[in-house]
Amino acid sequence: MNKNPKEQSNSIFIPPNHLETFKVFEKKADCDIWEAFNKGDEMAFNYLYRIYVQDLYRFGCQYSRDYSLVKDSIQNLFIYLRKKRGELNEVTHIKGYLFRSLQREIIKNIKANASIEDFEDNFLESHFQIEVSPEVSFIQNESNDARKKQVQLALNQLTTKQRKAILLFYEEELSYKEIAEIMNFSETKTARKLIYRALSKLKEFVKPTRN
Amino acid sequence: MSKNISQKKYEDYELEDFLTDEFFTQWVKSPNENNSHFWEKWLNSNHKKSDLVRKAAGFIRSIQYQENAELSNEDYIEVFENILKGDLSATPIKSKNSNSTKWYSFFSIRWAAAIVLIVFCSWALFESKIYSDGEASEVVWVTKVNAAGKKTIIHLSDGTSIHLNSNSKISYPENFSDSLRIVSIEGEAFFDVIKEERPFIVELQNAKIEVLGTTFNVNNTNEDKVEIALVSGKVKVNDNIGNQIMLAPTEMIVLEKNGQFSKKKFDLRSITGWKDKYLIFTEDDFDTVIQKIERWYGVDITAAGEFKEHWAYTGQYHDESLENVLEGIAQTSKISYSINGKKVEITK
Repeated sequence: MNKNPKEQSNSIFIPPNHLETFKVFEKKADCDIWEAFNKGDEMAFNYLYRIYVQDLYRFGCQYSRDYSLVKDSIQNLFIYLRKKRGELNEVTHIKGYLFRSLQREIIKNIKANASIEDFEDNFLESHFQIEVSPEVSFIQNESNDARKKQVQLALNQLTTKQRKAILLFYEEELSYKEIAEIMNFSETKTARKLIYRALSKLKEFVKPTRN
Repeated sequence: MSKNISQKKYEDYELEDFLTDEFFTQWVKSPNENNSHFWEKWLNSNHKKSDLVRKAAGFIRSIQYQENAELSNEDYIEVFENILKGDLSATPIKSKNSNSTKWYSFFSIRWAAAIVLIVFCSWALFESKIYSDGEASEVVWVTKVNAAGKKTIIHLSDGTSIHLNSNSKISYPENFSDSLRIVSIEGEAFFDVIKEERPFIVELQNAKIEVLGTTFNVNNTNEDKVEIALVSGKVKVNDNIGNQIMLAPTEMIVLEKNGQFSKKKFDLRSITGWKDKYLIFTEDDFDTVIQKIERWYGVDITAAGEFKEHWAYTGQYHDESLENVLEGIAQTSKISYSINGKKVEITK
């Protein structure tokens, strides 16, 4: 079982000035923030970095346990975006866009390091593993721990695609549209169907009590 | 409003329909005024579904990454700096004004430099400045402590006055140096700082507050957090992990020990009323009420009997005796009490 480092360090270093930045951008729409970044606004870059870098890192680590590869990929992505300022396309959902871009960068870098077959066959299974957190109010009876493990086991027997969609939907709170874009589905509803089918299989674990 | 792809009505929803509904998931994960308003109303008129909704919400909240990686602070800075350095090797970005390219890279260097400087040095510099100031003039420090039940007003040499609450402690130089006014505080105090050229600094365990001329309240009673509420003027708060926050009047900041902070508006009387002898309870739970009374009157309270989980008390007392306060609470909240010197017993 993996350790969950989430509880240990909630404190994230925030460079000074980022708070002012935060105040400026927090209420703005994604497309306005992106436009400001595109125009060279350093505050907009600071904001993007602060808001998304942790999520990007965690997402990236689903693909590779090579943490420095993930770090480099994030770094390269931002360097690339900064160089392209002035000619970037409009972006309306920044998180989805950054996830998609990082995914491309990471897979490119993994492939450069290993053979493609290696990547497809061996690594994929371990990607996007799900953990069921202690908050298990949906589980009924006393043997909570056992049920939790069962649910977790069942979730992790889903396909990698299904697990990925589930995590992007619940943990990352992305929309079906963004998920479809990240997962290369031509239709948005494919993303919903994928999750719907996966969860139908799990239904028996999450059944409501009938009194 | 909702993107209900399945086109079922909510009242016909099964578990997997809730679980795959974007609007529902959004409410569970990021409740806001809009979605809460809808779902709370809906639940009120669909009681039968509440068990199902609870299950679905629990499931949604319990999903998380197994590999829950987090960037360390060092990596956070390193990546940030490397990105800025990446600019230096950059092909010039497109811009209408060719000068701006230079300006950006200059800005970036400046940024990187500023971060390194501010983050790694400023605190140390700041600290050493204060102490060297202190040593140079061999300052005599005065410390005053208020036990529970005692409140005092302190007048400093520059004309600043400080209300010191119960269970609080303050230290300050008998005479301030030529360049700096500084006090350190534990517990709660209300400051009315006289405006002059020397900055006025309030040292807390986890933060420093820098002001010129202002009135504000500092509450560090709870070890896990600091609350700073600004009544008038301007203050700058630095915590010890590098956050710098400016407050405007009527704003209050809560700094958590773990570095998180939040800003909010505050009710003047419930925060600063204590200095004018207002004892105020606002939807306080039982433990909070007990703590406030113990601190205010310097008594020990023991409680017996079972108290309801959602017991809450709201009330305001101006310069009242302990007995009157307890009587007031007893009347609305079905408790009884007995006072025996410095001991109070509350029963349900």
